[in-house]
This record gives sequence, structure tokens and C-alpha cells, in this order.
Amino acid sequence: MKNSRTYKYSINQSIIKHKIMQLRILMAVIGISSLSMANAQTNAIQFEKYTLPNGLKVILHEDHSAPVVAVTALYHVGSKNEDTARTGFAHFFEHLLFEGSENIKRGEFDKYITNAGGALNANTSQDRTFYFELLPSNQVDLGLWLESERMMHAKIEQIGVNTQREVVKEEKRQRMDNRPYGSFLNEVLKRAFKVHPYQWSPIGSMDHLNAAKLDEFINFYKTFYVPNNCVLSIAGDFNKADLKKKIEAYFGPIKKGANVIPRPTIKEPALGGEVRDVIQDNIQLPGVFQAYRAPKQGGDEYYAFNVLSTILSGGESSRMNKTLVDKKQQAVAAQSAPFFNEDEGLFITLAIANMGVKIESLELSMDSIVNDLKIDLVGEREFQKVKNQITTQIVTSNGTMAGIAESLANNEVYFGDANLINTELDKYNKVTRQDVLNVAKKYLNKDNRVVLYYVPKEKATTK
Amino acid sequence: MKKQIYIALLLLPIISMAQTIDRTKAPAPGKAPIIQIGNPVKFTLANGMQVFVVKNTKLPRVTASLAFDYDGFAEDDKAGVAEMAGQLLKRGTTTKSKAQLDEAVEFLGGSMSTSSQSAAVSSLKSNFPTLMSLMAEVVLHPALATDELEKIRKQTLSAIESNKDDADAISGNVVKKLVYGASHPYGEMMTTKTVNSITINDVKSFLSTYWKPNMAYLVFVGDIEPAVAKALAEKSFGAWAKGTATKQNFDKPVSPSQTYVAVIDRPASVQSVVTIATTVDLLPGSANVIAGSVMNNILGGGFSGRLFANLREKHAFTYGAYSSLNPSRQVGIFQAAASVRNEKTDSSVQELLNEINIILNEKVGDAELSRMKNYLSGGFARSLENPGTIAGFALSIVQNNLPADYYQKYLTNLAAVDAQKVQDAAKGLLNTSKMHIVIVGNAKQIAKGLDKYGPVKYFDIEGNEIAVPTETKADASLTPQSVMTKAIAAIGSAEAIAKVTDVALNGTADIMGQSLNMSQKIVIPGNSVTTMSMGGMALMKQAVVDGKYSVSQQGQEAPITDEVKEGLDESASIAPEQLYLAKGYGLKVVGVEKVNGKDAIDVEVTTPSKKVSHRFYDAATYLLVKTSKSEEVPGRGTVTQQQFYNAYQTVNGIQLASEMIIDMGAMKINVKYTDIKVNQGLKTSDLK
Repeated sequence: MKNSRTYKYSINQSIIKHKIMQLRILMAVIGISSLSMANAQTNAIQFEKYTLPNGLKVILHEDHSAPVVAVTALYHVGSKNEDTARTGFAHFFEHLLFEGSENIKRGEFDKYITNAGGALNANTSQDRTFYFELLPSNQVDLGLWLESERMMHAKIEQIGVNTQREVVKEEKRQRMDNRPYGSFLNEVLKRAFKVHPYQWSPIGSMDHLNAAKLDEFINFYKTFYVPNNCVLSIAGDFNKADLKKKIEAYFGPIKKGANVIPRPTIKEPALGGEVRDVIQDNIQLPGVFQAYRAPKQGGDEYYAFNVLSTILSGGESSRMNKTLVDKKQQAVAAQSAPFFNEDEGLFITLAIANMGVKIESLELSMDSIVNDLKIDLVGEREFQKVKNQITTQIVTSNGTMAGIAESLANNEVYFGDANLINTELDKYNKVTRQDVLNVAKKYLNKDNRVVLYYVPKEKATTK
Repeated sequence: MKKQIYIALLLLPIISMAQTIDRTKAPAPGKAPIIQIGNPVKFTLANGMQVFVVKNTKLPRVTASLAFDYDGFAEDDKAGVAEMAGQLLKRGTTTKSKAQLDEAVEFLGGSMSTSSQSAAVSSLKSNFPTLMSLMAEVVLHPALATDELEKIRKQTLSAIESNKDDADAISGNVVKKLVYGASHPYGEMMTTKTVNSITINDVKSFLSTYWKPNMAYLVFVGDIEPAVAKALAEKSFGAWAKGTATKQNFDKPVSPSQTYVAVIDRPASVQSVVTIATTVDLLPGSANVIAGSVMNNILGGGFSGRLFANLREKHAFTYGAYSSLNPSRQVGIFQAAASVRNEKTDSSVQELLNEINIILNEKVGDAELSRMKNYLSGGFARSLENPGTIAGFALSIVQNNLPADYYQKYLTNLAAVDAQKVQDAAKGLLNTSKMHIVIVGNAKQIAKGLDKYGPVKYFDIEGNEIAVPTETKADASLTPQSVMTKAIAAIGSAEAIAKVTDVALNGTADIMGQSLNMSQKIVIPGNSVTTMSMGGMALMKQAVVDGKYSVSQQGQEAPITDEVKEGLDESASIAPEQLYLAKGYGLKVVGVEKVNGKDAIDVEVTTPSKKVSHRFYDAATYLLVKTSKSEEVPGRGTVTQQQFYNAYQTVNGIQLASEMIIDMGAMKINVKYTDIKVNQGLKTSDLK
């Protein structure tokens, strides 16, 4: 279980899948999370939201359609809250906090859940850390106990720190160092952001983790893992009145945090000119990665960008797939990915070159596809297709208790509006073809982007 | 119309609703939830198609899947036809190209998939009727175009090709063939030959024989009224004429009369894939299914199974060890498997068998049993969140002829499983004296000691039994010197060899379906450069020019050791055997071994830097046919790299291998030189 814990913004790129002889990039989480929202037309999601005296926000969605419950805890701490000399802390905690507590022995956390027939995991982003347990509904108390133990008195000990440090290093090796193109997000971020903490990714620096003393970990825990920095979001088959009493019993005694929770206020200035670079990697096929600076999540432009992204790479009939992969066969894989966060955003387009295709000509084709969006309105039928795809995606995302609990918590933390789960589709419906043209014109410009060429190590000739 | 049935989970105790809590221990589970499994609406169309509707209005979404029910059929020399037909269906209809079909489906915000026995679509409720008509079009009027079939064939062949190097794939294929038998549909295997023989008419004939409405179940799940579903089913498939497919009967696979060991030799393996397998009499719904599942999960279900605890946590033989138990209407199967370090192959077989014997001979403890029952009941409860689960239950009840309340009673029946029933299930299903023990691995290193489990037989990667490899003694009159002399003579006459001033070989290197450029140039004496490149970029380059050695891979320079120098010196020679004789290499004739089915003389070569490798010379022609070298790699054990030399060509009187296979175990490189030139006047300055 620990091995499979996901690290949210590492991009899941499988390598050469010889079965299909095709490079397939699975942009697992990027972009999808920004669409994992609501269904306004039908079946409104009912929920109750309240705050305990210690500051813990609670959101409950009661649903008896299946005997399951998702217990989730979202802490509003991500890599952007880290000290510049201690990057990687937030993600490190995602591992450390499975080590145990005053009442949970080392290594037992996972076992309680699997022995109950449940599943658990966690992930960390630039902005938040998210823990969840999926349980048969008669085991909801177990989820409350585990999450309250984690918040109240997790064991932050040298032995756990040492163990998890090795696990995280292994994770970094597996997900970034050993994976073709796996470093691209790090490489993009450090060029796209100069002052904002988004310049590093959640995996952070192994040197920083090595240098950190136990006191620093304890202090991080005391600052961020406090009820007033958390949303407890629970969805599923429970009796709300009973559950509220239990929540009070498990979480009520946890003390409010005494430290001020630091949140970056720094504004990132405009990029001020195209940034280009060549990265040498252990790869066979060169790749082009373009990242345009974009607005933060939640505004009108953000919804227009998600529509634009679906035009470019949503499905087999999308523009990048049809042109680059099928028609011109310049790329074995092509994808766009909105990468929007709480303070700033990026819009990423990428393509992996087919055998023998010049990387420069691939980039020209990518640019030409993006340019079309800046010149002409998207055709009406295509626009309708994309809207239909997005509607399906949003509606379907509310198919599980886990999905609902996470959406409610995200919306509450990021926008102060858990109910966005019920209104987000309206925001997409409001996007017009002109809006798409406008964001394309405003943001998809050369002086607003970072372009990286990934090339096999020997080829790199830096001038 | 819809009948709800309520069942209380009897498993677990009730806790009080006290508000003071004891945080020092995990809370007890609450009262078991009431499980509600709705009964789907069922009806049959006039053409025999059986339709199920599981209404679930949680989301305004509908999924329809059409599943064909036949218990396998013998594909024989056309193995793969069903799979390819399934893929071909979605690639266009008589009126729509693939691109048009993709666009039409995505315009509806929907998705569509097809396979050998099914087709499925899913979309929001509003677009569903249109999507359903596209599904009908794909099923009833597919284009089945030959150019699309060729694309699928190409992909299938490359998958088969890469599976030949994949120990897990080899194991999967051979286990199936040995356990079910080659004549049973479950034991059939797709090969290059069968896939190449499949024509568009075979695909058409498969579909027209087995895709019949009266053999199909159409299942709707989601926000749809049964009446609406019925109208859609009628409209889409009502006019489809019924037909009959002769039901093929197959002999039931027989268990081996005694446990035996099947070894599939894979010399490059650093791990052995060990599988202990047997067929089981386990009909879906039969009494042993639930107790058997508890038994199997205790034995080898995931991280908490006994196999994992023993082979990984206690002995560290492997990263994981698991077992599986699959009921089937035809013939079920039990497997216990692990990928283990070469040197622990024998011990792993022993431990796997020990654990099977323990579960056969000893009752499981209460704590372990109740933990497993909690695990299974929790998983069952969670699975009900997906409405597709209910549809799956409904289908299974009909297909397997189960009592209507089978799944509603599942938890009650699970609760009733006790230690005696677990042991009875094990005894009814498993017999360690009649098992197939299948091992894919480096036979030379692992075979010793395996005969204590039963007779040891050898099989090729397609599961055909082959002779036990015998180490033939080499002709005693052969000395290393005489072999070397004959090997040099095989390359060419002394005069022809002496006349060679330079050689240039150009061609391709195929790695996992990718084609790279490969070239080697030699300038006598002692200069050579070998390059593997892609689109002009060198991925690998090694050279010795004017006494300077260099090796780089993907731009990284490798350190130049004595061993590297020796290797490069060899590569700069037309007949390295001359080098061996001149420079005091240690040479020993080891024996005779089969290489590609022919006898070859195995000579052990020890270089001045004490590195050992083996060279194999064809016993008739004395041409070099194989080299092999084993090395200890920290953390991975012994790694063997082999190179095979084929398709010798005579150029300017000397023999040069135009084909080479470099087998590194995890990866295989096929080199083909298409352009070979000798004495075109190359200088060392041409060696870049």
C-alpha cells in the first residue's frame, strides 16, 4: 500500500508500450482534477457543513444507496507552504503520517483498513494534502479514529523519519529519475516561476529532507496538521445525527493550532519573454513541452481554458490527436494539460516525436494548431462536441462517494464554496466560442511560455 | 415492479452508541449494514436476446453492454481470430470511417468499446438513444475492412514477438496449455503462424457464427426506465435474425497422474517464474465457492496472505507471492505463483508446497479466519457502490443457473464459513500429488534438485515437450588450438583473411519494435567503430581508433577497463581467434551444446584480465554461432548476456554474419546488416 501511494502531480508516463508500439502519455491527474466537479442539471448533491469550536470544518453528504462510506481529511498545506530551504516537507508528511500515533503502532495504520475490507491512500499537491479511507459503512468509526489519531498525536520520531526518507527517495527515483521525461514538470516549474513557491514541485529536494532535524518536522506538524487547517469531508451510508456526535467525540478534544499558518502572498511577475531550453534525458524519442503561464483556478478564464484543452486533446477526435498522431504521424503521443492551482496556473502542451521526425517540425505543427485557436472561432459542431464531453465528465465524477467527498472538500478549501459541486456545470455552459478565442489570444503567446526540448543524452548540443 | 430485499449482515456484533470513546484501541465495527440488492427487470426479445435493466438514477447516465455467451470454441490454427474480430468491430462501419465513427461517439460525450465477446457504450441519458444506434451499427453493419485488419495484425504480431522475451507471458501461455491441454479452447495459444493465417473471411465467419442475438445478453445499467430500454433494445436489435451455433464439447482436462516439474529454459533469466497449478472442480455457485475463496485468500490473497508472509517477508525470495482460485462452468483453475531469485527456485517450490500442505492439513485459527471474513465482506459491501456490480450479479445468476437470491445470501453464507469448511474446501480442491509445477528460468542454474518434486520435463515457449537437454561430451581429439584453427579456416583462407584491409557493415537494430540504425566499420589492424543511432543521433557508440578506446551510451562515457579494451580489440578483428592464439588467452573445450537445434562446440575463453566467456562453434561448419557471458550484478544475481550469429555471407572470400541477436534477458536486440562491404579503402580517419 505504501508503495502505491500516489504523488499527485507526478505525471504518469508509461514508456514504450511495445504491445502497441506507441508512446502513451497518461496525464493521470493534471487537468482531470480541475474537472472533477459537479452536475447542476439533475441530482443535486445535498450536504451539511459546519465548524467545530476548534476550527475543524466538517462536510457531510448522507447517501444510503450503497453500504459504503468515504472518510477524507484535506489539510490546506502543499508544497507552496514550504520554506525555500526545506522543500518536499508537505509530501514527506503524506508518508510520515502513516507511521502511527500514540495509539496506533508503527506499520499498523494500513492494516486496520485492509482488515476491514477497506482501502486507503493519500496525495499531495502544490496546495493541499489529502487523505482518504474507503470503508464498508459499518466501519465508519474506524475511519474517524484513524484520522483523529493522525490529527491529534501522530508519532513524529526519528525512526519513522529515517524510514520514510528512504521510501520518498525511492519514489523520486521511480517516478522522476528513472522515468523518461519524468523530470519535465520540475524543469518547467523552475523556469516558469522565479519568485513564487510554485517554482518547485511537491517531491522537493532530497538534500533538504536529509538536512532537516526532527524538531523541524515536529514544528511543521504542529503548524499545519491542526483542526483549523483541515476539512473533514465524509460521504456515504451513515446516520448524520449519530455521525455528528461521533465526530464531536473523536475530533472535539483536539486542540486548535497555536501557530500562525503561513501562506505565500507573493505575486509572480509576467514571464517577460520566451524561455527555451534543451534537456538531456535517458529517452529514445525526443519530446516538445510547452508551458504557457495562465490564470489561477476558478475564474471565468479558467473554465474557458478547460474547454480549450478538451478541443486540443479530449479523445481520439481531438485536434492534437487527429493532426499530430493520426494524419501527419509526427507524434506518437500528444496532449494538452491545464495545470491550474490556487495562486497561478500553467497551460501545458506536449508531444513525443515519432521515429525520425525532427523536433523542430513537430513544434511548428504544435504551434500551428495553437495558432488556429487564436485566429478562428471553433466550429459550432466541434464546440458542441467538447461541451458534451465535459458535461459527461463532470456528471460522471459524482459517481462515487470518494469523488463527492473530495470535490466538496476541494471546493470549500479553494473557493469557500462547497456547493460549487452543484453549480460548476453552469460555469462551463456559460463559456462561449469567443471566450475560447479570447483566452487563446491573451495567453497562448510565445513571450508567455517556456519551451523545453527533451532529447536523448548524446544529441544535446548546447550552443 | 422492483423488489427490494433486505438482508442484515449477521457477521458482526453491535456496538453501543456511547459518546465517550476509548481511543486506545480501534473501534469495533458498527451494526452490519442492510444490503439492498435490487432485482433487475428481465425480458427476452423475439429473436432470443435476453435483456436486463438495472435502474439506478444516482447519475443521469446509462451504460449498455452486449455480451455473447459461448463457452469458448476451438480456434485451432486460427487462434486469435476472436480477439482480432473484437478489435476490428470498432474500426468503422459500412457508412462511417473510423475517424467519423470516433467523432460521432465523442460528439455524444460518450464512449464505446468492443471485444471478442462484447460491445459496450456509455453516455449521459440524453444522448443515450443516439449512442445506442451507433452501437447497433457497429454490431450489425461493421466495415470489417482489410486495411484495418492489417493494422491490428501488425500490432498483434509485435505483441507476440515481445512476449517471446517476457518470462511472465511465457509462463502464462505454457501453464494454460499444460493445465487445460492443447485441444481445449482455454489451452490454445496465439502464435505468429496462427495470426498470419487469419483472413478477413475468418473474422466474418467468426462473427456470423457466434454473434447471434439468441446467444446474447443485453444489459442496461443506469438512469433508464425498463420500458424505454425495451423500446431501444427492440429498435436496435429486434430485427436481428436468430441463428444457431453448434455447441462444441470438449474433453475435460485430466490432472497429471503425479506431480511433475515443467521447465522452460530461458538462459537470460535472473528470476524464475514459478507456478503451481491444477484444474479444480468448482462450478460457480457450488458449495465450495465461498469457503474456497476464504481458503484461497488466507493462503495467497494479497499482502496479508500466508504465501506473501512466507516467501517475501520471512525469506525474501521474491517481491510478491500470491494464489488464485477461479470457478468456471467448464473447468476451474487454482494457481500459486511467485517470481523468485534463481538460486532460491528450489526453496521457493518447497515453501509454496509447504503452505499448500499446511492449509490442507491444519485448521486455520479463529483470528485469521475472522479477519479474512471481515476483509471479504467489506470488499463485497464496497463493490455494491458500482451499479455494474448488480448487473454482473444478475448476469451470473442466469449464466450459471444460480438461485435468484445467491448474492443476497452471499454475506450470510460467508459468515457461516468455519475452519472445518475451509479445510474441507482445500481438501476437495487441491491435491499436492497431482500438480503442474511450471518454471520459466535459467535451466542450467535452477534445475538441480527439482526432481524431488516429481519427474522433470522440458518444454519450449509454446508448451511443446522437448528432449531433456543433454550435455554431449566433445570429441576428445579436439583441442582448443584445433578448434580455433578450424574456426579461423571457416571464416576464410589465410590468404583471403590477410587481404582484408577494411570492412563496413550497415543495417538496422530492432529493439522492442523500434528500428534503429546500426553500423560497424573495421580498419585493419586493430581499429573499429560501432554505432547504434536514431535519426542521426548516436544512442550507443564504441570505438578503438589508433589505440584510443571509447564507449558512450546516450551521451554518457563509460569507464575504460581492461575488459572493455579486450572487447574492443576483439571487435576490431576479422577473426578474433587469431588474437586468442597469439596473446595467451586461456582456452578450454567444455563440451557440446545445442544452439538453435544444432550441435555446437562450447569453448571457454579466459582473457588476460581473467574475464570468462563462452564461444560456441557449429560442430559441422565451425562458424561462430553464439557467445555467452555471465556476470554478477549487485542486487540482481547472475545476469547472462547471449549473442547469436546467423545468416553468414561470403564477401571477398570471408564469412561475415549478417544477422545477430543480442539477448540481454529483459531486452533483445535484433541486428540485420543489409549492406556489407569489404576493402573499399577505409582509413582510420573515416572511423568517426
